[in-house]
Amino acid sequence: MELGGGLEVLLAAMLDPASPGDEIEVSTASSGVAGELLGWARRAGHDVVDERKDRDRTLIVIRRGTSRRVLAPPLAAAGEPARLRPDGFHTRDLRLNGVPDAGADPNSGFVPLGSLAEAGAFGFAWQLNDRDGLWSNDLAQLVEGASASQWDASRDIPWGEARGLAPFLEQAVCQVVTFIAQNEYAAYYVPARFQHAVNPEFVEVLLWLASHVNDEARHIEVFTKRGVLNGAHAYALASAQRSLETLLQETDFTASALLLNVLGEGSFIDLLQFVERYAPDPATATAARLAHRDELRHVRFGVTHVRQALEKNPDLQSRLVAAAEQRASRLLDLTGISPLIVEALTVLAAGSLTPTRLSEAAAAVRGLMKDIAANRTARLQEAGFDAATARYVSDLHTPNLM
Amino acid sequence: MRALAGHGTQLKASRGPVRAHKGSLKLGKVGTPLLVGAVAYNPRVVTVWEGFSEYFRRGGLMVEYVLFANYERLVDALLDGIVDLAWNTNTAFVAADSRLRGAAVILGMRDVDAAYATVLVARAGDTVSVVDLPGAVLALGSRDSGHAAILPLHYMAEQGIDLDRVSLLRFDTDLGKHGDTGDSERRVLHAVAVGEALMGAVGDATWIALKAEGRPETEGLNVIWRSPTYNHCCFTARPELPEPVREQWLELLLDMDYNDPELRHYMDLEGVKRWLPGERGGYEDLAEAMGKQGYLP
Repeated sequence: MELGGGLEVLLAAMLDPASPGDEIEVSTASSGVAGELLGWARRAGHDVVDERKDRDRTLIVIRRGTSRRVLAPPLAAAGEPARLRPDGFHTRDLRLNGVPDAGADPNSGFVPLGSLAEAGAFGFAWQLNDRDGLWSNDLAQLVEGASASQWDASRDIPWGEARGLAPFLEQAVCQVVTFIAQNEYAAYYVPARFQHAVNPEFVEVLLWLASHVNDEARHIEVFTKRGVLNGAHAYALASAQRSLETLLQETDFTASALLLNVLGEGSFIDLLQFVERYAPDPATATAARLAHRDELRHVRFGVTHVRQALEKNPDLQSRLVAAAEQRASRLLDLTGISPLIVEALTVLAAGSLTPTRLSEAAAAVRGLMKDIAANRTARLQEAGFDAATARYVSDLHTPNLM
Repeated sequence: MRALAGHGTQLKASRGPVRAHKGSLKLGKVGTPLLVGAVAYNPRVVTVWEGFSEYFRRGGLMVEYVLFANYERLVDALLDGIVDLAWNTNTAFVAADSRLRGAAVILGMRDVDAAYATVLVARAGDTVSVVDLPGAVLALGSRDSGHAAILPLHYMAEQGIDLDRVSLLRFDTDLGKHGDTGDSERRVLHAVAVGEALMGAVGDATWIALKAEGRPETEGLNVIWRSPTYNHCCFTARPELPEPVREQWLELLLDMDYNDPELRHYMDLEGVKRWLPGERGGYEDLAEAMGKQGYLP
């Protein structure tokens, strides 16, 4: 055995757990290795206290120095193993007690669960260190759901079946999916803005935000692809842009969860369901169906997170209402959803320009708007607001839907 | 090959303000910085000395540092009183000590500097020993490196090897840095590995470090000879440095704790786990070698 060929591993295994002053004896038949050991010990902070010949071997006694290789207490003995379920290792079983501690060290580094941090690492300064400001009890399950239901916007959509729509209908579809894609951008940037701020101790939150952002990226992809599929063009409306810009101004995690997940994506659930139902081609319908499935998870997270945060801290309600009011105040001159979108949804639902079909479709769109408002109020109540406050906050919500 | 930096005119230009600064401060009084000179053989030297100065300041000793391009200028600066303390290689210490007629003061060395050795390496398949050197090629590091050039020749002569019959393959890279960069030693190892030299001389610390890292330079090579041990780097002062300052410096230096997370980073960069007081004994061979080889005036 020689240094660089495994001997240093054996020496470390002997010397690391030993106490300063303990001695080990190395016997080697190689005078080269014996010579190298002297230099090795010196570099490693140990002393060679004896070196002698024993027939054809050299005996070297190394006394352990005081330096520790890792600046941390000794590792504890292995504890209880993680639970395995019949279909695998679930994210909710990552922690034996299910939840992290309420407060994380703002200066902690990248210390994977179960490991011990060495002292002397450069300190980070995380901004989001309070568990209850980030957590929801179904987080691990939602992460699990996100992993299990990923899809492919290139291959899982029957793109070929969306060819050949009448130009007026293609135009309407194109305007609707463009509007949706615009909104998905906001849904992408809002959680992405928190990713770098979350304390890495809350690994489930990191997994969740990553899945959320990834979902939204795919939604941008799928609706953009549907938009350009047949060469048609549509408007990226300034009113939508203005509404979405205010969403990005919110810097509080829970307020963002309320404005985006509960109110915005909540409204989108109904819109996507409508598009799935009335879409004139299977590609648009499939895209809406798959995106809808993802949005359900995002809404679920928002509702549970806000409810739990309110349960822990009832004073939070006034701050959340204020956030909704503040956003509304910046959108005072936005009086309703753009007529262009309402018209495009109507044509999409009608599938033709005949008066009968158009008036039926217009009724359906009015029904959609009513449903969106009613469901939004219901979701707010589920998120822990009383009926009156829920109605008030729902009414404050942007007419742009997201 | 890098040329020696620092010519007379440039040196004069840089001396003025440093002197003026020193002249206005009296060493040993409160707030008077102890000026340490070191050679910038790698950018990390700045990090090391920022960290170390801060450590000394916290301990109540104002320490400032000046970096030099090579050890010749550092030794000049020490002797001219521009710096109070020089972080010297063994070659630089011997040069300074010789000019101070043996009165240089040693104020600390690293654990790795005590019991340093030079090793000769050869290809694993070649069953050779130092007696095979006459008629063969010996690769050496930079000619101003104590461990990779000056001492190996000295010890070979002591072993009775006729050096006139040995072809020397010298790698004089980073001259002025006295082998600190390790570049010439890596070239020595490569020369042996590819058969350009039968044997090559490197520092044992360099050899162990490269070997422990599993570096390809060491593959297929074996140590075939190890020199007597000697001392390597040390802090060197002029004899005028007041005793209380020496004591305060040494006390703080020896007190540096590798297990202190604040210090570990800087100590790792300097390659030290423990500081030792140092002693003159380990420089006799090198002084003799430098004298014989014409390195001393």
